[in-house]
Amino acid sequence: MIRILAALTILTLPTALAAQDDAAMVEDVVNSHILPRFEMLAERSDHLADIAQETCEATAPPLRTAYGEAFDAWVAASHLRFGPTEQDDRAFALAFWPDSRGATPKRLAELIADQDPIANIAEEYADVSIAARGFYALEFLLYDPAISTMGDATYRCQLVRTATQDIAATTAAISRDWHEDYAARMLNPAPDGTYRSENEVLRELFKSLTTGLEFTADTRLSRPMGSFDRPRPTRAEAWRSGRSARHVELSLDALNDLAIRMAGEGTDLASEFNTAFAYSQTRLARLDDPTFSGVSAAQGRLRIEVIEQGVQAIRTLARDELGPRLGVAAGFNSMDGD
Amino acid sequence: MKRSYLIPTGICLALASPALAVERADVLDTYADIAAAKYEDSLIAAQRLQSAVDALIANPSAPALQTAKDAWLAARVPYQQTEVYRFGNAIVDDWEGKVNAWPLDEGLIDYVDATYGGPTDENAFAALNVIASPEFTLSGTQVDASAITPELLSETLREADGIESNVATGYHAIEFLLWGQDLNGHEAGAGNRAWTDYATGDDCTNGNCDRRGAYLKAATDLLVSDLEWMAAQWADGGAARTEVLSDETSGLSTILTGMGSLSYGEQAGERMRLGLMLNDPEEEHSCFADNTHNDHYYDGLGVQSAYMGEYIRIDGTLVSGASLSDLVAETNPELDREMLTRLNTTMMALGRIKTTAEAGFAYDQMLERGNSAGEDLIMGGVEGLIDQTRSIERVVTALELDQIAIEGSDSLDDPNAVFQ
Repeated sequence: MIRILAALTILTLPTALAAQDDAAMVEDVVNSHILPRFEMLAERSDHLADIAQETCEATAPPLRTAYGEAFDAWVAASHLRFGPTEQDDRAFALAFWPDSRGATPKRLAELIADQDPIANIAEEYADVSIAARGFYALEFLLYDPAISTMGDATYRCQLVRTATQDIAATTAAISRDWHEDYAARMLNPAPDGTYRSENEVLRELFKSLTTGLEFTADTRLSRPMGSFDRPRPTRAEAWRSGRSARHVELSLDALNDLAIRMAGEGTDLASEFNTAFAYSQTRLARLDDPTFSGVSAAQGRLRIEVIEQGVQAIRTLARDELGPRLGVAAGFNSMDGD
Repeated sequence: MKRSYLIPTGICLALASPALAVERADVLDTYADIAAAKYEDSLIAAQRLQSAVDALIANPSAPALQTAKDAWLAARVPYQQTEVYRFGNAIVDDWEGKVNAWPLDEGLIDYVDATYGGPTDENAFAALNVIASPEFTLSGTQVDASAITPELLSETLREADGIESNVATGYHAIEFLLWGQDLNGHEAGAGNRAWTDYATGDDCTNGNCDRRGAYLKAATDLLVSDLEWMAAQWADGGAARTEVLSDETSGLSTILTGMGSLSYGEQAGERMRLGLMLNDPEEEHSCFADNTHNDHYYDGLGVQSAYMGEYIRIDGTLVSGASLSDLVAETNPELDREMLTRLNTTMMALGRIKTTAEAGFAYDQMLERGNSAGEDLIMGGVEGLIDQTRSIERVVTALELDQIAIEGSDSLDDPNAVFQ
């Protein structure tokens, strides 16, 4: 018992002032980082569904623009995988990727071949496989040469409309739950609450940062590199719509914003984070390879590897500097395991 | 000496508990003893499978095939309970792909139904069919597969072309060779391979029965030798045991990393929730034998066993000793109760999936789109596993292990980073 008390004392050593600072930091992250991202995602998804009602042609510029904007908003929020995004599989339904067994084209092809009537009603569409829902399925419907021209055009049009409505409904629900319920849970930890202490809230936010960095380094950047002898350019994220590098850029911007808020603006650690992020961001900006197709050649591969190593360095910084400062470790995340 | 470390002041002993303090080193001993027992049981069960496979090949018959299947199912019981040792113990994780890799593109090994399709975007060898191909080209190299040997499987075919789903060895390759593809979709029923796939002469069905038998034999022999190796790593003086016992803090962190990573990312996420959300019967862990309900159940039991320091061997004897539970109870009895309760809740939920599947409502059916009873059953398990992971994190904090990065993938990529 005494050991625990001693431990608590150590963890909260700068005591009252630090506790106040932590609470203010959480408030800042919730109000200025989290809530605006989910509002933006819901607004743009709603707009996408509206546009799809007007024009459902896969190649229609307004539809592709609205799709790109909504997808951008998702990527900028995609590291916030807890609470409302995990309710009812919402995040999975927005973003099933990577898809190593090709489930997305398989399920979409089945729906189109069968003209499955489940695509007629958005509420019912929530029952289909997550492989056929969300932004990555929509990419196949808009950009894949085979899927975007397969079968009956009227059915495909309906599928695009329903899939966008499904996305709009999911993102609206996430935004609503954040505003009406979950923000308050994070701001008011209580012994009988979702978060029992400020420390558990800090751990959740810290985990979002580290898991987001891990996903960008390992899945967005490393996976397409494959091995030197066997590069895997078709494993790049959203290469069909030319968005692979853009997603890395958007995610790094979002994670940078979160890291600075958690480190405290103006602190030495914040400026270390800025330097570390800038390393990968500037190299990415100069890369001029939107789909990472360069992994197939030694030169291009090296340039992407350097960016990836830069992101790993940010992870190390977070683990070694930010974690101890907040008194938290990363805990377990959904990427543990295979 | 250890006691003085655990209890900084004499007052604590008087206040907290009349019992003797739990030694961290003893907790680690129990953990290693249970690992040794589990891998030895896995080996014994695999040797029984080996005898059954030999008998099937020597005298093919329907009962001989059934005996081999029964031996495979029995062999899974102890093995699945070892999975909690995988994460955190680099030596296990580096090895486990040989014996338990999944999911597999089974067309690499043997004939498949037309609906399986051919090579995929990710895997050019998804439909290679080694059993029918004494010679083939792999990544530009001509391969002589006229003799199917353990070496061919482990050195040439395993992860051929750098693709993980080219699973050539282990339990699931053997499972496919015994059961065949499950073509029942979301209906009940496992794979239905005929015993005549191993028959001699004119009775042979689907061709190459001798090569199929050779493959099954090679894969089973490999499984036995791989398990022999791992059992030795946990015996006295073995490398895995030595590593765990070398440092008390990192040793305890290893136990909890295994419990948390298996509970959350692997079982709740990858294996259970993803399959449900994809509505895909191929996402079952043991899709050929329809044994997935047992995989989940025994995985969960392994996590509980790691915390409670208890394991029932396949001959019924109990292995037990000082446990994490004892250690947590000493300083934080409330948290220990919470942890035990949540582990029990999970086992109850996984037990419901198991009993319902055994009563005839197959795991494939539970995964079907719109099947809300099945969804509730599976989500009950998922939620139990997620809840227990939060308690595992609290235990990490309570034991003051939380300045160590315990993120599972860190421990896999760079075990030294975790234990620095």
